[in-house]
Amino acid sequence: MTAANEDEANPAVLAANAEPSSLRVFRAPPWQTRLTVDGVLSFLVARPVRAAPLTDPDRYISFLDARNEEICMVNDLAELDDESRQVVEADLAAHYLTATILSIDSARNEFGTSYWDVQTDRGARDFVVQNAAENARWLGPNRLLLLDVDGNRFEIPAIDRLNKRSIGLLRRVL
Amino acid sequence: MNALLLESAPAFLDAAPAEDVLIRARADVAGNGSFGEQWVVVDQTNVRVFVGGAHGTVQRVPIAELIACRSESSVGGGAIVLERAGEAPIRIRYSQSEAAKFSEVVRGIEQLREGKAFHINGHVQRNRCSTCRRLLPEKDGICPACIHKAATLARLAVRLWPYRLRTMAVAVASLFVTAAALAPPLVTAMIVDDVLVPADGPPPMEERLGLLALLVAGLVGIRVASWAGEWVHGWNATWLGARVTADIRAELYHRLEMLSLPFYDKHPVGSLIARATRDVQMLQGFLIDGVPYLVTNLLTLVGILALMVGMSLHLSLYVLLPVPLILLWGAFYWSRLRMLFTRLMQSWGRLTDRTVETLTGIRVVKAFAQEAREIGSFNVANGGIRAAGIRVKLHQGIFFATMALITALGMMLVWGVGGQQVLDGAITLGTLVAFYSYMWMFLGPIQWLGEMNDHMSRAFASAERIFEIIDAPPEGAIEGAVVKRPPIAGHVHLSDVTFGYDKSKPVLKGVDLELRPGEMVGIVGRSGVGKTTIVNLIARFYDPDQGSVEIDGIDAREMDPGHLRSHIGMVLQEPLLFSGTIVDNIGYGKPGATLAEIMDAARAANAHNFIMAKPDGYETPVGEKGTGLSGGERQRISIARAILRDPRILIFDEATASVDVETERHIQVALERLMQGRTTIAIAHRLSTLRDASRIVVIEDGRISEQGSHAELMEKRGTFHELVQMQQATSEIIAVAD
Repeated sequence: MTAANEDEANPAVLAANAEPSSLRVFRAPPWQTRLTVDGVLSFLVARPVRAAPLTDPDRYISFLDARNEEICMVNDLAELDDESRQVVEADLAAHYLTATILSIDSARNEFGTSYWDVQTDRGARDFVVQNAAENARWLGPNRLLLLDVDGNRFEIPAIDRLNKRSIGLLRRVL
Repeated sequence: MNALLLESAPAFLDAAPAEDVLIRARADVAGNGSFGEQWVVVDQTNVRVFVGGAHGTVQRVPIAELIACRSESSVGGGAIVLERAGEAPIRIRYSQSEAAKFSEVVRGIEQLREGKAFHINGHVQRNRCSTCRRLLPEKDGICPACIHKAATLARLAVRLWPYRLRTMAVAVASLFVTAAALAPPLVTAMIVDDVLVPADGPPPMEERLGLLALLVAGLVGIRVASWAGEWVHGWNATWLGARVTADIRAELYHRLEMLSLPFYDKHPVGSLIARATRDVQMLQGFLIDGVPYLVTNLLTLVGILALMVGMSLHLSLYVLLPVPLILLWGAFYWSRLRMLFTRLMQSWGRLTDRTVETLTGIRVVKAFAQEAREIGSFNVANGGIRAAGIRVKLHQGIFFATMALITALGMMLVWGVGGQQVLDGAITLGTLVAFYSYMWMFLGPIQWLGEMNDHMSRAFASAERIFEIIDAPPEGAIEGAVVKRPPIAGHVHLSDVTFGYDKSKPVLKGVDLELRPGEMVGIVGRSGVGKTTIVNLIARFYDPDQGSVEIDGIDAREMDPGHLRSHIGMVLQEPLLFSGTIVDNIGYGKPGATLAEIMDAARAANAHNFIMAKPDGYETPVGEKGTGLSGGERQRISIARAILRDPRILIFDEATASVDVETERHIQVALERLMQGRTTIAIAHRLSTLRDASRIVVIEDGRISEQGSHAELMEKRGTFHELVQMQQATSEIIAVAD
């Protein structure tokens, strides 16, 4: 057998080169995400992760197997069939626990540490951000990611869409 | 340390049977993924999950039904996963804030599931103050905003007792200076009322001139007295502040030297250094500059208020009118100014970081031809500083101008209301003039009160952090036991020793090891199995959690650690030499050793020849500032240091791991000479060095798995044989590569 033939028979290589249309992501048993290629090759554990979770969350989705090795990558979620896409989206939503800030109730700064009281899409929360230069990451002139002292993430996707009071508080603290 | 992890629970949890609860932990994410709460309650047989608060549901999972309990980490949080055969796993999600706590919960459930002893670290570290929710400077540390200022002040005040005479002098001088500051306006009032415009018609001119001369002389006298008072006050207050901080610094350093190693495991060295330097400096600044300023100003404020009320209650009320305005404006604007300052500092920090990064990496920048981009990003950062700087100046201007305006308006009020009162004859012109002076003296310090409070809070927090160390217990023998200092022959016996740096994660699990005097024992095993821990226990850097370490039949815990260690010689993998000469370093453990003794030790350590080859011989400087010594040379100096003490017990912890083979041979010769007649424990990475050991002990997973002579163990073909084979294979690869 030549080296090329060997590669063709290797499931890892087969999967990595698979067309997105040949991929199917589903749950079996209901709590386990599986991935099959062309209905032939099947991975019992497939965990979707994002290559650029902050700026391009719906593109370049990689599937990792139980040993955290890449099975394959999908360039765009839209390339998957509807059922597969829904499963992947649900898994991604469960894995990336960033809360989206809807409004800011209070924010104050004390000696370089800022204290926040916010309403998010996941409910009310208060948190502390230390060293804003590092932990308030601007993902664009209008988009902000805050990392609190424990490593929790809070995102403001569009600052100009917050209410006036929230914008005022934000500008005063950062 | 708590063996149980029990968080204070809401009432609905108490309704559930509470006996034998081992874990009660709150997760801060509700079942649907939004922020909320779920409770995990674990007892010997069940895991119960409370979802949805008082009116929610309880799910009970018998531990016997679990096939695994693990934690799953995701971005910004995680979950406990309880896996059951053939059923959907139960996920209890939590935010990243609770990840550390739940890793202990998972460990506990796994221990119960596997039928092991339940032992977890139940202490949940706080990083925010439980009272004011502020971020603590250190985990489980002291909240600067919530300390009892009075208690801290009392502890500081106690330190003045040895210097009570000086303290009295400062107090008297303070009163004197205050009085001297308050007197001139009163004299001025007399000049106006009795000399310049006497109310009851002018007396003869000579009398008025005489009185004027007398009053002016009085003013001069007051000024001179005030000067003397300030001199006495300033000198003594500075002396006291400096003396008290020096005392605290000495006490702090003394305690740092006496504290046990477990204390150092818990406190990062950086934080201890910060306390010994930054915190002490902060306190010193406050004691020397802050306290005298605060005391004299407060006394002055009280004095002025009393004098003004005495002269005219009516006018005093008008003087007090701008005070709330000043305080409010100060409170409002100080925080804003401070924020702008912080922002300016951050901009500076960014620029500095950026510049350091690009200049140190200038080769990379040039190699990729990115100079223009770096210049561009520098200009952006520079622009940021400019903007922040302008804003600070602008707001500073507004702040001080407004303060001046409020004060000036207050003055106008005094002139208006006071002038009318003078015309009505209610007060004299002199009183009005005095009021005018007092008002200036009164409103000035008030502007700074808010700032002073801030300064005080930070200084007190520093004092608290220092006291925290001073209050930590030093290492020593078991309380109540007689501290023994017996002669030591070198018989070491570890019996059934269990020990972990973190009590819930034992490193040694029931180790039995006996070393007869003069015996040489090699300890081998993979890294992290507990080899160094054994020698740490023998030297009593730590005490075992269970079992005992006996030296010549006496429990090490009953011995004076200093006495015990004076009979132990240690040679570590990375020899630490202090700055000083070679003589200083070899003689470190035996102050007063003669040069002849030091040279004997160096000869025994195979170090004499290379030392003599140096231009300064034994007086060659080493350490940070010293000329370079090679790793092998440093190691031989550290061996000489151990030899000089003539210890009964010798410990080599990977003493030759970081030197080349040629140097190792030199060191090996030195070590063999050193070992004769002493109990020796050698932890070795290169197993070939243990060929002459009378016994080799193999440690695996905190237990002794094999022991015997080199030959016996090779024959047994167990772990030791495997390790030797592995090393030979590696050295063959290295030989081929070379």
